[in-house]
Amino acid sequence: MEKETLLKRLADASRASDGKQIELVYIEDRTALSRFAENVIHQNIEQADHRILARVSLGDRVGLAVGNAVEPEAITGTVQKATEIAENQNSDPDFPGFIASPVAPPAPSAYSSATAGFSADQRATAIKTAVEACSKAGLMASGLFKIETKTVAVVNSPGTAQYFAETAAEFSLTASDDTAAAAGWATGYQRDVDKLNATQVIDTAVQKAVASRNPRPYPPGEYTVILEPAAVGQLLLFLGFLGFGGGSFASGRSFMARQMGQLITGENITIIEDPFAPEMAGMPFDYEGVPKKRVVLIENGIAKGVVFDRLNAKKAGMESTGHALPPDNSFGPYPRNMAISAGTIPFKEVIATTREGVLITHFWYLNYLNPRRVQMTGTTLDGTFLIKDGKIAHPIINMRATPALLEMFGRVEAIADERIVYPQFNSVMLVPGMKITGFALGEDTDEG
Amino acid sequence: MSDSLIEKSGAAAVDLAKISGVTYADCRVVHQTEEQISVRNGATETLSRAESIGLGVRVLVDGCWGFASSAELTPESATELRDHAVEIARASGKLAGERVNLEPVRGVVASYRTPIVKNPFEIPLKEKLDFAGHLDALLRAQEGLNQTSVAMSFERERRFFFSSEGSKIDQEIFRSGAGMTAGIGGGHGNAVERSYPTSGGQYETAGYELLERLQLEAGIDKIAEEARALMQAPECPQKTCTLVLSGDLVSLQVHESIGHPLELDRVYGSERNFSGTSFATPDHLGKLRYGSELVNVSADPTAAGGLGSFAFDDEGMPAKNSPLIVNGLLVGYLTSRETAPRIGAVSNASMRAKSWAYLPLIRMTNIVLAPGDKTLKQMIAETDDGIYIQTPTTWSIDDRRENFQLGGEIGWLITGGKLGAVVKNPVYSGNTVEFWNSCDAIGTAAEYRIWGTPSCGKGQPGQTIATGQGTAPARFTNVKIGG
Repeated sequence: MEKETLLKRLADASRASDGKQIELVYIEDRTALSRFAENVIHQNIEQADHRILARVSLGDRVGLAVGNAVEPEAITGTVQKATEIAENQNSDPDFPGFIASPVAPPAPSAYSSATAGFSADQRATAIKTAVEACSKAGLMASGLFKIETKTVAVVNSPGTAQYFAETAAEFSLTASDDTAAAAGWATGYQRDVDKLNATQVIDTAVQKAVASRNPRPYPPGEYTVILEPAAVGQLLLFLGFLGFGGGSFASGRSFMARQMGQLITGENITIIEDPFAPEMAGMPFDYEGVPKKRVVLIENGIAKGVVFDRLNAKKAGMESTGHALPPDNSFGPYPRNMAISAGTIPFKEVIATTREGVLITHFWYLNYLNPRRVQMTGTTLDGTFLIKDGKIAHPIINMRATPALLEMFGRVEAIADERIVYPQFNSVMLVPGMKITGFALGEDTDEG
Repeated sequence: MSDSLIEKSGAAAVDLAKISGVTYADCRVVHQTEEQISVRNGATETLSRAESIGLGVRVLVDGCWGFASSAELTPESATELRDHAVEIARASGKLAGERVNLEPVRGVVASYRTPIVKNPFEIPLKEKLDFAGHLDALLRAQEGLNQTSVAMSFERERRFFFSSEGSKIDQEIFRSGAGMTAGIGGGHGNAVERSYPTSGGQYETAGYELLERLQLEAGIDKIAEEARALMQAPECPQKTCTLVLSGDLVSLQVHESIGHPLELDRVYGSERNFSGTSFATPDHLGKLRYGSELVNVSADPTAAGGLGSFAFDDEGMPAKNSPLIVNGLLVGYLTSRETAPRIGAVSNASMRAKSWAYLPLIRMTNIVLAPGDKTLKQMIAETDDGIYIQTPTTWSIDDRRENFQLGGEIGWLITGGKLGAVVKNPVYSGNTVEFWNSCDAIGTAAEYRIWGTPSCGKGQPGQTIATGQGTAPARFTNVKIGG
């Protein structure tokens, strides 16, 4: 739907009087995706949906209804359902009401017509190149080529009217041998598919797979590790879940609670929620229509801030930073565009200056292990190597990793100067590789 | 949306009379209605109703799959969608392996409705919210608790299936559930939590009568007392000992280390780049000692009340109870029409999609570990040095589903056959086959229950789906505990 048509339709349906307020969130998703495994495209889909999320407040009683029909009368029907729900609702003295927010700055670089128009044939062609490269190296190719097009609009009765359109292209490749004992992985993500360096993804995955043949066991212990950017991104995501949301902060569950202004990681760690970083080009407003702010979360190791939506900001006596998730999500506000500040030396040099350590491509199935220690559990995957005297000595069998995140970010010895854009779980992050001492690696997964 | 419009749209989508090269088509029209109610710390957190309707069309062209879905539900758009799916399938043909050739099945015309006593959508919203608020108030009245929550949800799914083989299936599935948590937060992340009936709540294919059956009020004193005990408890020690698991934790163990590794699409590598593979390759079929003689596991979408219960899967195959492990021996997999012939079998109706928008994948239905003959009390009494752990909190398992680490909300050390000190953050780890072979006791039928997992994840785009695991408490020897 055209921007003006959509905004008018939502504005018409959000007119309210008699102390009633209405907020309408429109989310249109189009996902075109080719998955391949064992050198064959086995799942090839295109799906399209649009949702209206209507919140109606009757004073401090709020109802939420969601529908996926967007004709004017259907939107009115969804608003009516939300009104009926609000009528059954209890009072919530913390409800901050809906407000008129200024129009957020446009983010034209978030949308690419080349990406939006990328066809199933084009996806297949790109995948074929990957399969041929893998076959040449005696490997099998598995992965995906995904194209996403999304439109979000937020309109409310006080007068907010926000609109954002974005595209994303993602290419992920696992190159592996028959037994999967040797495997290499790489990924690429860009708003504009024309900027996606598929060749680099293919070369990296293939080289890693070849280098990871015949992995050897390595004893459990605490080691110096070199985390590639994706591995850092995976851990950062969980750090965000556990600590940087205003919901867990307001309730005291966050590790940031009562720690503001304190040194909680090494002084070389700065983490910023930065939706305006051109590499990420995040949505410039949140799902309450509040323009996003850049928020310094940790600066030189010191706890500086968390992100808020309007409800949790009110509870904490703060202002919204524009980080509300869609209203059907009860997690609370979350930073979806975190960036770790880059270091000063190339990643290659991080490896070259390591006398002995373990190089980790990324992790598999991370989950919380001990929330009090902000500790995770997961295994290494798709390329784990022993580094000796600055060079890869040999591949090692994947091992279980159990890092306690704040302690881990307190032992970062080096940070690389280049960062990658890394998407995961509806977040897009900007992360460098890094070297960390005293990293716990447990028993191997004995895949051989 | 009228049934007549749905029927016309479905028929149009699978009409292959005027297109060439398409050997098969199916269409699912799904109308989902969901209600979410949650109260946290005395305030309503969620009160919402969501509806979604649309259709997904899957086609097989020259042995290659294509799929397209849309919220536009008319016969004309269904035809366009089918044609678009055909285009996509032709693109798949650029990188085809062995051509998919479905053995024809006879079309089925049938209907099914979850047997329910009380339609949850006919219970007034206010009554349900008041009940959640009442439970939360009872929790908050307990000494020491400062983080409380109560959540319930209800889902009705009208699911139509049409195929070019003549199937027309109409199913109406109801899912209901509720749960609550008693927490104490002491700042700096020092927090403990106990849940009832289990973490995330208990969910079944059932109506509102389930909430009465769960006897939620009766669980409050116990979880409050245990939360207070946890706040003072030491961390779980690190050692190797006998492990006794509650039924809900056995459910998680079954889900992660038996259900997932026996999904045959995963076994053949379809999830290698995302959800992982499996150690349990078909060369192990009929040979692998997956567990001890006590371990008997089946996939049973016909189990009454199981969250993964239905009459037909999303390929129109009839639900049936299929053995996976018999007396410890691996004998079967969760299969689809495409994968089953590769092991000389026919589909056991395991293909399911999150909604109309998604492609069906092989998913767990209800994975049932048959009960044994020892009560939980007997298992503990016979244990000299061990730990009893209840209620899942964390899980991680490697990409081949072998090396795992799982944890529970609360543990009790067992010494000389008696439960002793409470420990917090109890975790344990092991290797799938070694672990199940160390199983030396399974609880009785009286302690057996089908636990519901409302949101098991798999696939890209990510699909969460409801599964069930039928389990009783169980005991395992020589297990490593502690983080």
